[in-house]
Amino acid sequence: MRKLSRSWWQGLFVIAAVTAASVLTLISLYGFRREAISPENRPIQSRIAGYVSSNACRACHPGNYASWHASFHRTMTQVATPASLPPEMDKLELAFNGREYKTERRGDKLFVRTRAEGSGNYGEPQQVVLVTGSHTLQVPWLETGEGRTLQQFPFGYIVAEKMWAPMSQTFLLPPNVKEYYYVGAWNGACMDCHVTQGQSRFVADNKWDSQVAEFGIACEACHSEGREHIERNRNPIRRFKIHLTTKSDPTVTNPASLKGPESGLACGQCHSVWAFNDMTDKIDFNRHGAAFRPGAHNLAQRFVVQPNAPDHREQKDFIHRTEPDFFHNRFWGDGMIRVTGREFNGVQGSPCFRGGEFSCISCHEMHLDSPGQADVKTWARTGQLKPKMDSDAACLQCHKDLSARLVAHTHHSADSSGSRCYNCHMPRTTFGLLHAMRSHQVSSPTVQESLAYGRPNACNLCHLDQTLAWAAQNLHAWYNQPMPELSQDDRTIAAAVQWILKGDAGQRVLIAWGMGWESAQKTAGRDWLYPYLIYTMTDTYAAVRFDAWKSLQTLPGFSDFRFNFTAPESSLSESAKRAYEKWLREVRKVNAVYRSETAIDSDGRFQQDVFQRLRSERDEKPIFLAE
Amino acid sequence: MRRPSKRALPVTQRVDRNLRFGWWSLLVFLSLGGVLETLHGFKIGWYVDVGNETRRLMFTLAHAHGTLLALVNIVVGLTVRILDRFALRSSVSFALIWAAILLPGGFFLGGIVIYDGDPGLGVWLVPVGAALLFYSITRIAIDLSRRK
Repeated sequence: MRKLSRSWWQGLFVIAAVTAASVLTLISLYGFRREAISPENRPIQSRIAGYVSSNACRACHPGNYASWHASFHRTMTQVATPASLPPEMDKLELAFNGREYKTERRGDKLFVRTRAEGSGNYGEPQQVVLVTGSHTLQVPWLETGEGRTLQQFPFGYIVAEKMWAPMSQTFLLPPNVKEYYYVGAWNGACMDCHVTQGQSRFVADNKWDSQVAEFGIACEACHSEGREHIERNRNPIRRFKIHLTTKSDPTVTNPASLKGPESGLACGQCHSVWAFNDMTDKIDFNRHGAAFRPGAHNLAQRFVVQPNAPDHREQKDFIHRTEPDFFHNRFWGDGMIRVTGREFNGVQGSPCFRGGEFSCISCHEMHLDSPGQADVKTWARTGQLKPKMDSDAACLQCHKDLSARLVAHTHHSADSSGSRCYNCHMPRTTFGLLHAMRSHQVSSPTVQESLAYGRPNACNLCHLDQTLAWAAQNLHAWYNQPMPELSQDDRTIAAAVQWILKGDAGQRVLIAWGMGWESAQKTAGRDWLYPYLIYTMTDTYAAVRFDAWKSLQTLPGFSDFRFNFTAPESSLSESAKRAYEKWLREVRKVNAVYRSETAIDSDGRFQQDVFQRLRSERDEKPIFLAE
Repeated sequence: MRRPSKRALPVTQRVDRNLRFGWWSLLVFLSLGGVLETLHGFKIGWYVDVGNETRRLMFTLAHAHGTLLALVNIVVGLTVRILDRFALRSSVSFALIWAAILLPGGFFLGGIVIYDGDPGLGVWLVPVGAALLFYSITRIAIDLSRRK
């Protein structure tokens, strides 16, 4: 056989190398193409006119991109991956409401199988496809086999507790309500605010073909769509002209440069209770997404629902007729918002808002713009506040004169929690995600708000051991408020005791949380709180039990007390008994003195006559806080 | 043959100028590298924060271009000395030196004031420097090719 020359070998080598490179390229292209095909079992990100996604913003705005990326807005909806799902979700075996759930992982995908409790085999696996929520509560969503329609995994992951709980027990819901989200709820409701420019796209029956510009709340949610902005700013001369002159660009909206109402509405497009103007607008919103763009002075197809405002009477009457509990589930009787996540209702109802400058960004910032800002993680975890906006500085921005006469105004010592603006004017009277939050409707405390609407007033939320009469007398003496007519109980029994024993679930949960508030404990004492919190751990509402337990853990001797707030009733009583025994024998101070207003005997037991009477008067009307 | 202008320096002096400039420039831009390492080492936010990504890029480009162009000046100087019948044009010597000033200088100035993803106005010096560099390298390549 003829020996091949050196040049032959070189030629063969080149051909082999080119062939190998081509094969590798084809394999890569095949993998890339396969990844690029959109899944059909969940909502997808697609090209919605004018929207370009945060990836396009990153190159020119790296700092703002980074702060947004660290924020919880980004993770409000994520595609389910091992990284985005709660830890160890692939090893769950849970049961609730007669059904058992088991999870399993296959590669990077997670599946859930279910069966009737005690029955044989588990059913077909359903893939976990999306996860909503992030820092407080995470909610996984399952494929349904009906296009992009989603079904909720009926358990939510409470991040701080590292525990799973039935979703219906993570909201303030009547105990008989077992399922909170219907099939298709994500498509029909959640995606209105948990994504950027979502289009629900109803198909038929309960089938949806939902698409979004971007999962999570991204740049274009607040700055409006970016395609034109990007295309026009490819011209460096235009960019430098803007840098060196006006610094504003008409092709994009910057909520920080808007007047108060318009700026607030950019946040309020999600952070408010809103409703559709009519069915036509609802269908349009469903098909094409929100017509509102940041900078506009109304929500276009929708309106912010303020129960007592004169606008949209016809629409509000319609809501009254078709959903009678709509207002009660969201607002206090005077129209003040009582659920979290809807802060713009409060901001809009504040007297400060009438000035035209006050808005969400008076205290918050969506990027780390201010000098002296905390590190990005702290900022994200503390409500994205501007520096010092968790102090009186927030209010003193405008009310400058008050800093010089602080004590004269508050009638509390300067370093007292009673001299902190927030504590009196933004008390924790809204509830959601298992905790009480500050009202964003700036107001002054009155006893009348408690008498007329049942809303705990700021004075008694701190002075838990004082009566309504005590608060009324001080408000009369200090601020010349009229003295209301008060019952005998209001004169002799602490307001907090009344609310936690005979109040409705909405009042009980605020007091259960409030008894764990350090400022209130310092003011009202801690010793008498134990029996009330322990008793409240057997409340019929799971959210009330949860807050009672967490508040009990703030008291000496109970920091490591374990309790399953989702357990059956018998187990709850057992835990409460265990806690009470522990308090009585190990923790209680023998010489503790209890004020008569607390309705606790000198031996640390409830004054039975008062306790039984208040308990029998409890307001048992169902409370359903629609967060 | 092209006649040298009366004002032009003799070839050896021109070459010496590029060599001297090259070594001093190398010192300056290597020192800048040291400064940048220090900023990194102490995690100075003005340089390393993600919001200052553009500044970091500009300074890095200034360091890299400054160092490389200093070496180009040295290499050109040595090339002229090693090769017979190869003279460095006065315009090329001038262009090389100014390219080595304007290109990295533009990047550096562009990094001092930044506008998010855009560098400061100083960056407009970069294309001028780039044009001078392009001219000088092209001219050297042509002159070397024509050398007998």
